[in-house]
Amino acid sequence: MSFLVYFMLLLVVGVAAGFVGSLSGLGGGVIVIPALTVLLGVPIQYAAGASLIATIATSSGAASAYVKDRLANIKIGMSLEIATTLGAIAGALIAAAIYAKGLFHIIFIIFGIVLLSSILPTFMQYKRSGWKKLNTDWTTKFFQLEGKYYDSSERRTIRYFGYRWWLGEAVMALAGIISGLLGIGSGVLKVIGMDWGMKLPMKVTTSTSNFMIGVTAAAGSSVYWALGYIQPFIAAPTVIGIIVGSFAGSRILNRSKVSKIRLFFMIILAIAAVEMILRGLKVL
Amino acid sequence: MDLETDISKALRAGVAICLAFLLVGTALVFINSGADGYTIDQIVSNASTINSSGFSLVEIVSGLARLDGLSFIFVGLMVLIATPIIRVLMSIFAFAMERNWLYTVITIIVFIDLMVAIFVVPQFIHGMISTTRLP
Repeated sequence: MSFLVYFMLLLVVGVAAGFVGSLSGLGGGVIVIPALTVLLGVPIQYAAGASLIATIATSSGAASAYVKDRLANIKIGMSLEIATTLGAIAGALIAAAIYAKGLFHIIFIIFGIVLLSSILPTFMQYKRSGWKKLNTDWTTKFFQLEGKYYDSSERRTIRYFGYRWWLGEAVMALAGIISGLLGIGSGVLKVIGMDWGMKLPMKVTTSTSNFMIGVTAAAGSSVYWALGYIQPFIAAPTVIGIIVGSFAGSRILNRSKVSKIRLFFMIILAIAAVEMILRGLKVL
Repeated sequence: MDLETDISKALRAGVAICLAFLLVGTALVFINSGADGYTIDQIVSNASTINSSGFSLVEIVSGLARLDGLSFIFVGLMVLIATPIIRVLMSIFAFAMERNWLYTVITIIVFIDLMVAIFVVPQFIHGMISTTRLP
């Protein structure tokens, strides 16, 4: 394969992953890693390195939107970052230990399972709306787990409270480990931690999760950097592609209903997940 | 909370600077048919052993003056990693200005976690790199 063709393929995979990641709400990483490894045969460390660093770009690039709408809760996000950053460091070190022993198939299997289980809640979250319960406990007061946002569909300002900070923190530690282990943003787990764990409204959890992904990925990427998982010429076209693709995806997302396209991509992702598991089990 | 608007501008600027360095670096690798003494075939390949563990900060920065493509790409990626870290740093000041001491401390802890990831962890994984192998 000539280097120019190879470069163009990496770029195309990046654009496609950014586009689908933005439309599906799963983020680019969970898509770009199967694409790079299964389609292009990129070593999984380099795929994970390129993916994790690209995750920072999509998180930071989307920041303007959530700051404008005042949806992300910076306090709640920051308090949970203590666990995600430490988790990401641990996850990256676990990955290094697994790779050092040559147990690549374990990563493939875990990746497939995480991808499959990410698809399910993405379907459910669109059916849910509104926020009813007003649960509070001592962590609500101590960690100032409250906020308000303007709901454009209900045309009113909604005041909300979060509780069970410790449960959110525990889920975030896991989200951080998965992020560092696999090289993904693990936004779905972050949303679960805040939605199911802390009972925060969905609009707040998705944008807060997006804010958190960049900080988590910065911790994981730094360890990846020292481990040598960042191959500059694989990372560069991937990052460029994902930035361009997710920007295009977010434009389309604002303009039209995309539920059918989303369903189509979910099926593709489910196939990719099964393929990763089969590869891990050495069937493929 | 106008600082939040400034922070979001800083984040977008970080991504834009990163993108510019990556594009220039990529172009330089193609124009020079390689970088840092490596041929383009050695750099652009699945089995390439050229990666982030083999370059020191001094080498990377000095490569910029020589218009070395890989140096530009590495600087772009470093800017990207630095972007959310600068965001955390700005938040420390934002919370301190609000006199929200609990969140000033929480944000300092997050910042320390990031510094540990960058400066402390690499010290004791140094020996691990030699045992890392490609599939």
